[in-house]
Amino acid sequence: MRVKKLAIVLMLPVLLTGCWDNVDLADINIVTALGIDKAEDGKIIVTVQVIEPAALQSPSSGLGGGGSAQPKPVFVESYKGETISDALISMKSIVDKRLFLSTTQVLILGERFCKDGINEALDFLHRDYQSEYLTDVLVAKDVTPEQILKVQPDMEAIPAMYIKGTIENTAIRAKVKRTMLINLFKDIENKCRQVTIGQITKENEKTVKTEGTAVFKDGKLVGWLDQYQTRGYLFATDKVKSTVINIPVTNGKMSIEVSNSSGKIDVEFKNGEPARLSVQVRLEGIIGEYTGKKPLNSPDDIYKLEKILSQEVKKEIVMALNKAQKDYSSDIFGFGTVVHKYYPHYWKKVMDEWNDVFSKLPADIKVEAKIMRAGLIKSPMMKDE
Amino acid sequence: MFRKIKKRLRLGNQQDNIDTIYTGIDEPLPRNIERVKERLNEIFSECSDYIQREIVCGEDGCIRILVSYIEGLVDRSILNQDVVRPILDYFSSVEAQDKAKRVYQLIKERVISNNEVEEVQSMQQVVYKIVSGDAVLFVDGSKSALVVGVKAPQGRQVEEPDTEVSIRGPREGFVENLATNMVLIRKRIKTPNLKFEMMQLGIQTKTDICICYIKGIANEEIVKEVRKRVKKIRGDAILDTGYIEQYITDNRLTLFPIVGNSEKCDKLVAKLLEGRVAILCDGTPYVITVPHLFIESIQTSDDYYDHAFFASFMRVLRFLALLISNLLPAMYVALVSFHHTVIPFKLIITLAASRQGIPFSPFVEALLMLAAFELLREAGVRMPRTIGQALSIVGAIVLGEASVRAGIASNLMVIIIAITAICSFVVPPLIRATMLLRFVFLIAANFLGFLGISFVAVAVIIHLCRLRSFGIPYMAPFSPLTATDLKDSIIMVPIWAMITRPKILFQEDTRGTVGIKRREVNKIGEG
Repeated sequence: MRVKKLAIVLMLPVLLTGCWDNVDLADINIVTALGIDKAEDGKIIVTVQVIEPAALQSPSSGLGGGGSAQPKPVFVESYKGETISDALISMKSIVDKRLFLSTTQVLILGERFCKDGINEALDFLHRDYQSEYLTDVLVAKDVTPEQILKVQPDMEAIPAMYIKGTIENTAIRAKVKRTMLINLFKDIENKCRQVTIGQITKENEKTVKTEGTAVFKDGKLVGWLDQYQTRGYLFATDKVKSTVINIPVTNGKMSIEVSNSSGKIDVEFKNGEPARLSVQVRLEGIIGEYTGKKPLNSPDDIYKLEKILSQEVKKEIVMALNKAQKDYSSDIFGFGTVVHKYYPHYWKKVMDEWNDVFSKLPADIKVEAKIMRAGLIKSPMMKDE
Repeated sequence: MFRKIKKRLRLGNQQDNIDTIYTGIDEPLPRNIERVKERLNEIFSECSDYIQREIVCGEDGCIRILVSYIEGLVDRSILNQDVVRPILDYFSSVEAQDKAKRVYQLIKERVISNNEVEEVQSMQQVVYKIVSGDAVLFVDGSKSALVVGVKAPQGRQVEEPDTEVSIRGPREGFVENLATNMVLIRKRIKTPNLKFEMMQLGIQTKTDICICYIKGIANEEIVKEVRKRVKKIRGDAILDTGYIEQYITDNRLTLFPIVGNSEKCDKLVAKLLEGRVAILCDGTPYVITVPHLFIESIQTSDDYYDHAFFASFMRVLRFLALLISNLLPAMYVALVSFHHTVIPFKLIITLAASRQGIPFSPFVEALLMLAAFELLREAGVRMPRTIGQALSIVGAIVLGEASVRAGIASNLMVIIIAITAICSFVVPPLIRATMLLRFVFLIAANFLGFLGISFVAVAVIIHLCRLRSFGIPYMAPFSPLTATDLKDSIIMVPIWAMITRPKILFQEDTRGTVGIKRREVNKIGEG
């Protein structure tokens, strides 16, 4: 009797389940990359990159001995629709299996689509239960997402993995702003800080390049930062983990490997109004390469180098700040968060026009650079003859 | 339902009893030796191994003695040396005539040079003694008979058991002979507090059963309960302690072993010293111990002979192996059919690649492979050992490899089943329970994914926590939590730090389910 009761209780939850979703892994199309762009007629073009697992299997365990023609590891399909979800669902008429989006590694947004605002894409991706929040987002400059996704790299069988690898690489060098989907969800409606997304361009049929940053204002693409401006921007926002900075020295060149850096931004207030922006960056580096003639014998030599290094970094920050203030009028640095935090009453008044206020403020930029070590040798290899 | 079947079976037994010739109704021994002979021949008709020997001595054959025994059970040289020759010598040399009346007394006290002499009065006892391997002496004119213990040593030598191999520690295992087994235990516990309570079970087999415990360490309540339950057993035969196990268990419908068994002396002695009660049975090397708790399944005697670090590590491994062998196929099926979103990207490519071109769903694939594995295992066990090995090699290598090449099973599934199989052998006492549970988990996973697995897991855990072994909660010391007894659970403290005996065996059960259970058991016992 008790067993029967227990059995009945255990059976009940079966009736309560909503997701009846027993799908074999062999019956889904594993999407590795997603591209969203806008056609000239205003319709949405969605591009998917799907892997063919069989082609990725190591040849030793291949089924049926394997023919001479190696099947392609991925295929790329595009489809046009009124909305993103419409395009994705309609795409089922040209692909054989259910599209599985949780494995998306990179999301490439088209330039035209971004100029009209990325909110539409974010709405769909936030609503859909399958979307992966740690997807890397990039904006394609001068090319369509489809062209980017059709790149066939030599280095990696799956182009999406290749693209992801390049982002990770350049993010370490502080030449690209790395933005994941979850950052976008957080920042898109945040008025204190404007969205920035990494930039991707096509080098040739086999390689892409991820360098630079796309600057957004109120969810719309307004312009770009080049790699040096990007680094300046990242220094100010405390996102640099390591990078290499080249500084001019007499009769040669020097590369400094930055190993540690911290950036802080602040807004100075006077009479209840913001008066100045301030950026403070401290960084530590070591000499990576030196091809000058002068030996580095005294600490004074090092102090001189530190000054030059500070100047270089400051130059980059000024360039980035100028672009953001003068050209794009978009507070990508997040000075708004400071105002919001410490002057909430003022913030409430100025919230909607903050970008205009921001772009007119003068800025103090302070960079303190330190060179910790000269490496294993002091003087350059080729001294004065 | 079980009770009904039981009843019917019991009725059947009784009908059989009516048909048997020797009913065992008690009757006194006739004084006349001819009548005795006649009666015994009647009882042992068509028993070709039954031997009667009549000794006639004294002048004009006034002393007549009958020796009865079963061929083979009795050591004939001892019988001759201790009984027959002394009788012949004594009565041929002595003027016997006047002593004729005192012959019985003389034989008993002076002639027989064997230590084990017993007097019996009834025919029933005589028959029992004969069939259990003693020689019985009848003297003409006497109303009782003499039983002389001249049993021939039976069975094999004490050797290391195959089922429980230990790397370190005593290698002696129990044998089929009860007396030997008792000696093996007594040898290790030199105290009169070690008690052996004998009784006979089985209507036909009259098997000797021995309840063994250490007075003062074992819980008296449990000893009493064991005695009570064992006495309730009715049945024609007790061929193995397995019979007893099934009669005395608290819950007859559980998959989990709630009565322990062992073939190793040192292990059993350790259990006795923890306060457990053992039941030995003549004719089998397996000794059962009660109460048996879940944690005992992952303990081995090796744990105590080595350092606690290694023992603890091995116990964690064993526990993990137990989980893996239960859950792994189910987890795999749940992952590849429901929860693609939780698989890491690189793994999903591997998984999808291995699934390519497999005609079956992961569930059917897992079911087929598991069934094949169980078949192989069973075949390997049943085959003679040398063939068994060859069989498992054929099964493992050829079948696995061929099924992958033929595209019936995926590489990964073969790996999964192999890991499951390896893990299932790590915890031998639970092999049978996990074997069935694995399928239950698998089916649940196919219908509801992880949700289904958790339903079954919850049900199993509830069941485990409800189980009692002789009133002791099966999951103790985890549920109910007994802090001091955790010293010998998954993490084990060194032997010098185990200063208290397990308290769990002395627990009062607060929930009162034991009372209900015992009553049910009694009812079943009474039929």
